Amino acid sequence: MRTRTPALRWSGIVLVLLWSLIPVYWAVKTSIQTEADARSSPAQYVPTRPTLDNYRALLTGSGDVPEQIRRASLNIVIECGLATIVTVVLATLAAYAFARMHFRGRNLLFYALLATMAFPAYTTLIPLYRIMSSLGLVNTYTGIVLVYVSGFLPLATWILHNYFASLPVSIEEAGLVDGAHRLQVLWHLLLPLARPGIISTALITFLFAWAQFLFPLVLSSDISTQPLTVVIASLQGRHVVPSTLLNAAGVLAIAVPAALALIFNRYIVNGLLAGSTK
Amino acid sequence: MTSTSQAPRTPGATGGAGTAAGKATATGRRRLDLLPYLLVAPVALFIICLALVPAVFTVVQSFFRVSALDPPTRFDGLGNFTRLLRNDAVVSSLVNTGFYVLVGVTLSTLLGVAIAVVLQRPFRGRSLVIAVAILPWALPGVVEGILWSGIFDPSSGLINSLVASLHLGSGDTLLLGQHRLLTIALIELVQVWQITPLSALLILAALQLIPAELYEAAQIDGCSRWSAFWRITLPLARPGIAVAMVQAAIATLNVFDQPYVLNGAADTGASVMMQTYFISFQNLDFGQGYALSLLITLTTLVISFAVVRLVYRKVEL
Repeated sequence: MRTRTPALRWSGIVLVLLWSLIPVYWAVKTSIQTEADARSSPAQYVPTRPTLDNYRALLTGSGDVPEQIRRASLNIVIECGLATIVTVVLATLAAYAFARMHFRGRNLLFYALLATMAFPAYTTLIPLYRIMSSLGLVNTYTGIVLVYVSGFLPLATWILHNYFASLPVSIEEAGLVDGAHRLQVLWHLLLPLARPGIISTALITFLFAWAQFLFPLVLSSDISTQPLTVVIASLQGRHVVPSTLLNAAGVLAIAVPAALALIFNRYIVNGLLAGSTK
Repeated sequence: MTSTSQAPRTPGATGGAGTAAGKATATGRRRLDLLPYLLVAPVALFIICLALVPAVFTVVQSFFRVSALDPPTRFDGLGNFTRLLRNDAVVSSLVNTGFYVLVGVTLSTLLGVAIAVVLQRPFRGRSLVIAVAILPWALPGVVEGILWSGIFDPSSGLINSLVASLHLGSGDTLLLGQHRLLTIALIELVQVWQITPLSALLILAALQLIPAELYEAAQIDGCSRWSAFWRITLPLARPGIAVAMVQAAIATLNVFDQPYVLNGAADTGASVMMQTYFISFQNLDFGQGYALSLLITLTTLVISFAVVRLVYRKVEL
């Protein structure tokens, strides 16, 4: 019986890999074909005449679509980068206080924070749009980043709280006895120890921000702040953009999150598990 | 605002981080300590202003007529809800979403258990396989819609091409937009692709806690691998399965990106979240949008709670 298992398990492993990779392969394949080859029916499973023309067109070409894609790439990097930095800094400070300090109202605040995680994010879609609209923050990076940060702070604080809580108190006490201020203890003693937790939190926040679609769709009506996801969806809706070019844009949009997921998978896995086990 | 109002009560401390830094040493902790409030204030402000207040807004305003085309804002009782239920597109989206949840939670849980069992025991290259397995989770739903539209394409898509190459049929079936249940199942498959990695991870984490001796003892007692799966693996994985089902239920109840990209506004696949978007941001009827959001939120909370009650059992080993 034991001898039979490896074959069964290896076929399972192969199926898992195929399931994850086939749609990605298909988009990459389409993106390096000419439009005529991509439209052949039945499809070419392996491109016979691969070309990088679509990428060249998007990255260096002129015209409406390439310029929108380049601007949207810049937008998404700015929005995700800012949202990640602000979220991680604020969540670290709050998580330290929640995990290590006693103060009145701590539990109430902490549970209120956790309760917001139980609500679907879209509960606040319309009011957030109206708030941002009344503050004149529609079509600004600030508006999008504020909304992202408010959405990601609860999970980020929770993951970091769990991380700080798992570190031994003795380290800090030693620091405090030596006369260091608590912020110095946080900065010099705890942050280096919590680095894996902080990296996990930053990666997860960044990936969540990168995947956003409905919030930026509502909060940005023109190309000045629309991220890549919004622009790609609108290109798809127009039905005039060649499928090869659309797939090249799609591959560009998944390149960053795919690279992060493949390189830092251990941090992401640990962070997700720390964030979901209660 | 609320948390900084504590500041004047402490004599001597003017509230700035610089002055607080000099005083709040280990010995000075007995006095009302400002530092923790300063540390949590930004998060508290964000949560109060951009999560709690908007949530209250949604609840209250769903009972008001709030429409850019029909001002002013006024109390309307259950008007928004009755108008929603008389709207065929909304009712059809409610049914569609029910199917999305059913297909999505079932498939992602089954696949999640399968993937977790495949990854349960260590083998060479396991971390690489896990990295590839979580890949779909990390990608934006919109772009996943683009990736899969290439698979579903009626002429040159992977599915139809395989059908034609293997001589199983003509290979030009319109997969999306024609048959309602097929459309929903295929769109949901794309979302399942995205949410299953997290399900698998959560279930895998529960499986890692099962001691190997349990399987060894079962084997000595003549228990087959199949019955070990039913009697050991599944019962002990329940907490992980419950959390996985809750995350799947939340994601599928709020599905938007995949149907929006793959099927547009067509009634065959439109979800409740899509109707919320159309009603609020195309018809500018915020009142009905609020009401529909409230319905989705309440349903999400009820289903999450029910899943936890039914599936979650604390496992004592």
